[in-house]
Amino acid sequence: MEILQGLWHGLLVAFVPANLLWCFVGVFLGTVVGILPGLGPPATIAMLLPLTFSMNPAGAIIMLAGIYYGAKYGGSTTSILMNVPGESASVVTCIDGYQMALKGRAGAALGIAAIASFVAGTVGVLGLMLVAPPLARFALSFSSPEYFALMTLGLALVVLLAGRSIVKALLAALLGLWIASVGTDPFSTTSRFTFGRLELLSGIDFIVVAIGVFALGEVLANMESPEAAQLLRVPKGLRNLMPTWQDLKDCRFAFVNGSVIGFLVGTLPGGGSTIASFLSYGLEKAVSRRREQFGTGVIEGVAAPEGANNSETGGALVPLLTLGIPGSGTTAILLAALVLWGFKPGPLFIPEHPDLFWGLVVSMYVGNVMLLVLNLPLVPLFAQVLRTPAYALYPLILGVSMVGVYSVSGSAFDLMLLLVFGLVGYLMRKLDYPAAPLILGLALGAGMERALRQSLMMSQGDLSILVSRPISAVMLALAALILMIPLFSKFNAWRLRALEQ
Amino acid sequence: MNIRFVAIAFATIVCTAPGSAVAQGFKPSRTVELVVHTGPGGGSDVLARALAVMAEREKLLPVRMLVLNKPGGNSAVAAAYLAEKKGDQHTIGLFTGVWLQTPLVSTEAKVTLKDLTPIARLVLEPAVIAVKASAPYKTLGDFIDAAKKNPGHLKQSGGSNTSRDNVVRQLLQKATGARWVFISFPGGGERIAALIGGHVDIMVIEPEEAGEHIRAGNMRVLAQVSEHRLSAFPEVPTLKEAGFDVPVVPQVRGMVAPPGIPKANVEYWEDFCRRLTRTQSWRKYIEDNQFEDGYQNAAELTKFYDEFTGRMRAILSDAGVKTVR
Repeated sequence: MEILQGLWHGLLVAFVPANLLWCFVGVFLGTVVGILPGLGPPATIAMLLPLTFSMNPAGAIIMLAGIYYGAKYGGSTTSILMNVPGESASVVTCIDGYQMALKGRAGAALGIAAIASFVAGTVGVLGLMLVAPPLARFALSFSSPEYFALMTLGLALVVLLAGRSIVKALLAALLGLWIASVGTDPFSTTSRFTFGRLELLSGIDFIVVAIGVFALGEVLANMESPEAAQLLRVPKGLRNLMPTWQDLKDCRFAFVNGSVIGFLVGTLPGGGSTIASFLSYGLEKAVSRRREQFGTGVIEGVAAPEGANNSETGGALVPLLTLGIPGSGTTAILLAALVLWGFKPGPLFIPEHPDLFWGLVVSMYVGNVMLLVLNLPLVPLFAQVLRTPAYALYPLILGVSMVGVYSVSGSAFDLMLLLVFGLVGYLMRKLDYPAAPLILGLALGAGMERALRQSLMMSQGDLSILVSRPISAVMLALAALILMIPLFSKFNAWRLRALEQ
Repeated sequence: MNIRFVAIAFATIVCTAPGSAVAQGFKPSRTVELVVHTGPGGGSDVLARALAVMAEREKLLPVRMLVLNKPGGNSAVAAAYLAEKKGDQHTIGLFTGVWLQTPLVSTEAKVTLKDLTPIARLVLEPAVIAVKASAPYKTLGDFIDAAKKNPGHLKQSGGSNTSRDNVVRQLLQKATGARWVFISFPGGGERIAALIGGHVDIMVIEPEEAGEHIRAGNMRVLAQVSEHRLSAFPEVPTLKEAGFDVPVVPQVRGMVAPPGIPKANVEYWEDFCRRLTRTQSWRKYIEDNQFEDGYQNAAELTKFYDEFTGRMRAILSDAGVKTVR
C-alpha cells in the first residue's frame, strides 16, 4: 500500500513536463558518454554540477541519475564494434561481443545489449523500489572477509575464461594481479614497482590496460596479416541487423542472471559493476550447455554482463539513498550533489524526502524506456561502422583508443602505457595466452589484497576469520567447486577413454 | 580532456572580450584554471566546483574559473603539474593536508608546498570521534579503558596510515598507553559501513557525515577533535574537555599558486580569498559542511606549514612511518 502511494507520488513528480525533459537530457547525454571510451559518468556529472544549482532538485537528480544509468547502455557499443571497452564495466562484453561482430552479427550483439540493459535496468529499479531498506541492512553484514571471498569467487572464474591451456590462463591472471599491485601500498604508504615514476604512485588505470590488451593488441595482430584484414560482413536489411527470436530465447537465463547478480553486487559498497559483469559472465558460462563455445561469439556472453552492469546501477543507489553511503565514483559525486543542493543524505533521506526518492524511481522506469527507444534505432546505424575498409578502420580504432585513454587522466604517460600494453596484448595473442584472465586479475587484485589484509588485521593474523563467517565460507566453498570443474572434465575424458578401450 | 576542451572554448570567448591586465597590480585576463588533486566527485573537486560557482555569483573574478582534475600519486601529480607551470599567471590550485603529508613519506613526491607559492588557508575541517549507537562506550574514557584491558583487540576504521584518522589514534595511544588496531579503507563509504555494520569499534569522522547517522540513531559521538565545541554538537566534549590533552590535528584546505609568480599576483589571490570568505555563499557553504573558517594569508600559511610538517614528522615516526624529507 505504502509503495502504491509512493508510486503515485513519484508519478506526479516524474511526469511534470520539465522533469520528463531533464530525464531525456540525462539519458541522452549518458548514451553519448557511454559510447565515447574514457569519458565516464563521474566527469560528465561533475561538469554539469554548476548548472544544477539553479535547477529544481528533483529535475537535477533525475537528470544526473539519467547520465549514470544511460552511460551503461552506450558502453557496449565500442566493445562490440572495435574491441575497445567504453567503460570498465563493458570489458567483459568485448570477449563475445567482438567475436560476434567478426562473424557479421554486430547488429544482433548491439541489439541484445540494449534489450538486456533494458530488462536488467528495469529489474534494478524494481529492486530499489521494493527491497531497498532491508537489503541495505544485509549489505552491511558484508565486511572485509566477505569481500575477500567474493573476489576469490570472481578470480576462480579464471578456469572458465581459459582457452586451451589452464596453465597459460593462470599465468595471465598472475600478471594481472601483479599489475594491480603497482602503486602505493594502501596500508604502509610504501611505493611498490613505481621505478621512481610519479605517475605510477596511484597505480595503473584498469581501462588503460584493457584498451591496450584488447583493442591495440587486436589491431597489431591484424596488421600483420593484411589478407585477413578484409572487410567484415555486414548483412543487408534491417531484420538481419536485429537479434532473432532464437537469440532472445537463448538469452532467457542471461536476463535473469544479469539482473540478479548485478543488483546484488551493486548494493555492496565495495562491489562495483566490473565485478558484477565478470561474475554474471562466469555464471552464465558455468551453467551453459554450450560452455565450450563461449569466447567465440555467443549471444548470452553479451547479454549477461550487459544486463549485470545495468541492474548494478539500481543496486548502487540502495546504500546511497538508504544510508548515505556511496560505493563508487559516480555515487560519490551524486552524494556530493545532494549535499550541495542542501539535502542531508542518510538513513532519514527517503522518509523525509519521499517526493524526491519516488520521483527518481519513477523517472528511472521512464528513462529505461527512453533508452531502449533511443538505442535500438542506433543499432543498424552503428553496425555500418564495420563497413569501413581496414586501412581506415584500424587507424580509427587506434585513434579512439588513444583519445579514450587520454580523456581518463589527461596524461601523456598513460598513452605510453597504452602502447606498452598494446604490445603485451599482441605478444599474448602470438603466444596463445588468453587476455581475459589478465584483465580479471587486474580488476580484482587490488580489492582482494586489501580485503585479505583488512581481514587479517581484524583477526590479528588468524586466517580462520575467512571461513568462520557463514557468508564468506559459502562463497569460498563455491570458489573451490568452480576450481574443480576442469579436474572433473579431465576425469570424465579419462573415464570415457577407459570405457572405449 | 573534456574539461580542458571546455576550458579552451571558454578561454577563446573570454579573450575576445575587452579588458586589459596591465596597469599596476594584477588582474586575470583569461580563464583561470583551478587544479585539484582528486578526480571528479572527490572532496577537493566538489569544493573547487562550489568555489567557481561562488566566484561567479558574487562577482569576485573578472573571468571564469574552471576546474582541472590532476589525480594521482596522492596529490603528487597535481603538485608537480603546478611546479611545471612556473610563472603561469592563470593557474592556481587547491591544496589539502595530503599535499603536506605526501612529500614527507614518498620519495617520488618531490614538490612540497614551499616549492610552490602558498596563497592562503581557507578552511579547517574539524572531526568527531564516533562509535556505533549500540556500543557500550558512553565516553571516550570508556573506550580507552576497554582498549587498555584488551590491547590490540578493538579496531578503528579510517583512511591511509598518514591520514588524520590515524594521527589522532597515534596521539591518543601515546598519551594514554592504550592500544587498538587501525584498519585502512580507501573509500569513505566503506569506513562508515564497517562501523555501523559492527565490524570495527570506532572511527574519526567528519561532522557533516556523522550528523545524519546520529539523527537516525545509528551512531554516537564521544568527543570532538576541535579546539572548541561545534555548533552542531553543543553537548559533546572536545578532546581536551574529555581529559585528553593531545594537540588538535587540523585538516586544512587552501589555495596555492605555481612558483615564480610576481608579488602583485600573490596579493591579488590573497585578496580574492579574503573577499571570498566574507561572502554570504561561502558562509553558508561552511555552515552546511560544518567546516571552520580558517583564513590565513600567505605569510601566516608559510609559518603554519613549518609548524605542521615539523609536528607531523614526529607523529609519523612515532607511528613507525619512515619520513623521507
